[in-house]
Amino acid sequence: MSLAPGSPDPAEARTTTAPEVGAQAAQDALAGRSASGAIDPVVFDEAFLRQLERLHLVLRRSVRGGLVGTRRSVQHGQSVEFTDYRDYVPGDDLRALDWNVVARLERLFVKLFVEEQDVTIHVLIDASASMDSGSPDKLWFARRAAAAIATVGLASYDRVSVGVLAGRSARRLPPMRGSARVMHLLRELSRVGPRDGATDLVAACRAYAAQITQRGPLVLISDLLDAQAERAIGELAATRCEVSVLHVLSPDELEPPLEGDLRLVDRETGQRVDVTVDLATLDAYRARLAGWQAMLGDACTKRRAAYVPVSSALPVADLMFAELRRRNVVGA
Amino acid sequence: MSLLAPLALVGLAAIPVIVALYMLRMRRPERTVSSTWLWTELVRDVEANAPWQRLRRSLLLLLQLLCALLLVAVLVRPVLERPATLAHDLVLVVDASASMSATDVPLDRLDAARRAAIQVLDGLPAGGRVSIIEAGDTARVVANEVTDPARAARAIDSIRASTGTGDMAEALRLADALAARATGSEVIVVTDGAGIAPTDVRVRVPVRVVPVGRERHNQAIAALAVDIDPGGLRRQAFVSIANQSDVVVTRRLQLLADGVPFTARDLRLPVMSRTDVVIDEVPRGARILEARLSRADATAAGETADVPDHLALDDAAWAVVPEDRTRQILVIGPAGVFLRTALSLLPDVELYGVSAAEWTAGTARDGDWDLVVLDGVIADPLPATPILAIAPPTDSALGDVLGALTAPTIGEPATDEPLLRDVDLTRLHVARAQRIELPSWARVVLPGPTDVPLIYSGVRDGLPTTVLAFALEQSDLPLQVAWPILAANITGELLGRDPSASQPVRPGAVVQLPVPPDASGLRITLPDGTVREVEPGVAGDGLATFVETRQLGVYRVEPIPKPGVDGPDARPSDPGASSPTPASASPGPAATTPAAVDLRASGTRWFAVDLFEPTEAAITPSDGSALVALGTPAPEAPATAGVARDEWWPLLLLVLLGVLTVEWLVYERDGARRIRDRLRALVPGRATGASGPSGTAGSGGRSGTR
Repeated sequence: MSLAPGSPDPAEARTTTAPEVGAQAAQDALAGRSASGAIDPVVFDEAFLRQLERLHLVLRRSVRGGLVGTRRSVQHGQSVEFTDYRDYVPGDDLRALDWNVVARLERLFVKLFVEEQDVTIHVLIDASASMDSGSPDKLWFARRAAAAIATVGLASYDRVSVGVLAGRSARRLPPMRGSARVMHLLRELSRVGPRDGATDLVAACRAYAAQITQRGPLVLISDLLDAQAERAIGELAATRCEVSVLHVLSPDELEPPLEGDLRLVDRETGQRVDVTVDLATLDAYRARLAGWQAMLGDACTKRRAAYVPVSSALPVADLMFAELRRRNVVGA
Repeated sequence: MSLLAPLALVGLAAIPVIVALYMLRMRRPERTVSSTWLWTELVRDVEANAPWQRLRRSLLLLLQLLCALLLVAVLVRPVLERPATLAHDLVLVVDASASMSATDVPLDRLDAARRAAIQVLDGLPAGGRVSIIEAGDTARVVANEVTDPARAARAIDSIRASTGTGDMAEALRLADALAARATGSEVIVVTDGAGIAPTDVRVRVPVRVVPVGRERHNQAIAALAVDIDPGGLRRQAFVSIANQSDVVVTRRLQLLADGVPFTARDLRLPVMSRTDVVIDEVPRGARILEARLSRADATAAGETADVPDHLALDDAAWAVVPEDRTRQILVIGPAGVFLRTALSLLPDVELYGVSAAEWTAGTARDGDWDLVVLDGVIADPLPATPILAIAPPTDSALGDVLGALTAPTIGEPATDEPLLRDVDLTRLHVARAQRIELPSWARVVLPGPTDVPLIYSGVRDGLPTTVLAFALEQSDLPLQVAWPILAANITGELLGRDPSASQPVRPGAVVQLPVPPDASGLRITLPDGTVREVEPGVAGDGLATFVETRQLGVYRVEPIPKPGVDGPDARPSDPGASSPTPASASPGPAATTPAAVDLRASGTRWFAVDLFEPTEAAITPSDGSALVALGTPAPEAPATAGVARDEWWPLLLLVLLGVLTVEWLVYERDGARRIRDRLRALVPGRATGASGPSGTAGSGGRSGTR
């Protein structure tokens, strides 16, 4: 799978899928060139990468980080940003004494500064069988979006943790940090494929939540085609991460190209239902879809999560620079 | 209520079949979707292996069951029975005379009569028979013993108004004959009752009348004639306007010469009277004169405004202006003073005279004579021109002289003899006359004793010929007023200047058209432009019979040159015209005395067909009591005729079509909605259902399915 997500044709992208994508492929991807040699005209070329590096994921409150980074931490540290004074206690670094105050008040005070640390950005990809459908493919879109978000995180010197939700578990890729890890990240994302069988989104989210040790922005990319999707969002929100939900639906799901007496087969569960599709049925479907999205939006709002419904046909550039910025998930 | 076709109830078996089709599970094509979760509330059925499914409430099912029920109801032909109001055998006479074209009822009286006649048929008992007679200018049976009301209605609808006098007497005779075939018949006449009811008809069954028409307002051109004074200097048009209305009206009379208006005047027409107008300024050279009657721009004081003229047929008339060519007449013989005086008084005539010996010697034989008068002599040879022979002394082609008659008795001439028009010979006395055997080509004009004619006339070898069996000096005819009129009539017929030449032809009348010797037939152009060709009859009299005179207007008659004869009018026959109509030896029952038409010359001639019928102009409707009186009174306690049936299947069929339409609309409602949506999409800013990139658009809608 080439992560040249700007390719308008997912089928073409699927033809380049390979279990192992080498560095050359990643270089090609970065250069906006697919494995087949065709020029990828839109994203992940040099210019797009430069644009992504100007973005950062918005963190609305400070969290405790790990290594020194660019994010304000709740800890006091060595940055140049002054925060407070406190009385000197033996053992403090004498370089932290404010000698001007000592001279004026003849008391010892230590200057405190804001500590700047990195945060962990969690990107969760729903790899259920239902995501492997639609035109363009929803999973293909999810990998492109995850790659773009992760690239933003790596460019911001944050730690990026990618999780793949499938079945009842969550496979967490090794956290990465630094722009140099972009190639590795893309390669890992290229290996993400759909999983056959049913997926318990709640259990998978709970499994990932149990693995979170450092809080930070959490982006869930899923079609949420699960009756318990609201609970899954709740599981993630319970980690006190700043959750954003990218609700991905394909154009075929937004406007089903169906007509007549049909037997619909569930790609994930194999369940079959008979339906007669006419304009009235399609109207009812649209109404149900709109109500369902509204319900998910309300659930996200209650949990202070951002809800971003998108179509899998949406270009990644529009996603990053329009949709996510408009909803304050990323900033410039 | 009863059923005419109860076997059709078998069709009810279709109802369980329809229900079973709805219970059968259909075979659906499979489509893989990402999830069926969003569809779960919209599905019709969950997968099951059973071939049957539970019957659900469906609008389509209800409509289709209703369609099946209605179809069965149509097929079983339910009828509602009621007592019949008519006899089992009915003869329906529909008046189709010209007065039925009056528009005092919508659309006109004939249309109202057709509707009334069809309505009358509702009272016909089941299995009843109806014969329908169209009483136009001739009586015609349009349906004979029809039992199917629809077929009878079609026959009634085929009746068209004629342009002439309706022959109600003949129609009633025909109805009487048809009604006599069955006992208990009756005759119903649908008529406006206008005109004079026949009196010489008796109908042996009861007669009922269904009247139509409401008003009597009509103004008509009752006469139009053109005459030239004896000097030929002045032409006069005589127009007579009849007002049949009971109010005074003002109408505009417009006269046209060859289609060009040349005068118009407003006439105040008194109540129920005729107004005669003489117009002197007829343009010279005009061939066709047309008179039109129309509404005047303003009405005089005291008149009722907006008095309608309900009959338009008699608001126009045409007349053929007599030809004013100078004729040359040669008299062979002594030419007495009475004869010379009578002939010299004729307009546009040049009179010449020679003796029989001079004629035999060849004198004046090469003259271009229009008429040769043999006054007491027989010319040898006989001139090849029209001949008026007076007292021929010897046998000749004009007739064999068998002897002499002394003081012969004068017989009763035919009333419609054209030569005796306006001629009273009841006081004629003849001292001596020739006993001449009537030739085969002649008709008796004035009969004498025992089949011996005193005056006879006819067409001999294509040449009009008239013979007086007595010399003028041997009678008191020259002393009577009738003589110059008779002379004018005879020479007029022989010269083609018969006063009847400008007389109109009655609509539907048979016209005898002389065919010139160098012509193979006649080409006749009707007022509507239709062209007909006629050939002379086999009788050898050089006459062709033309019967298609139902249209009002001017008929153009042209001779068709014989092959190889070059003439100014020689031209090939119109390939688009109908095939030549052979002259009919028997014109039919309507053939009365043929109208004479000025056609003796070889050029183009015209004749006019006009509706100068006072009985048709008087459109005052009546209740038809005069017609009822012609029939036998109905018995006071008529026998029960039976029951009439009102079939319901047409109404049920209409309902079925309506339900079918609704069913189709329900079935195709998606198609209609798509068309509507696409049309709206064509209008800028009216596009609907578009979803943005985030795909959150959706609209509420019906949850029903088909």
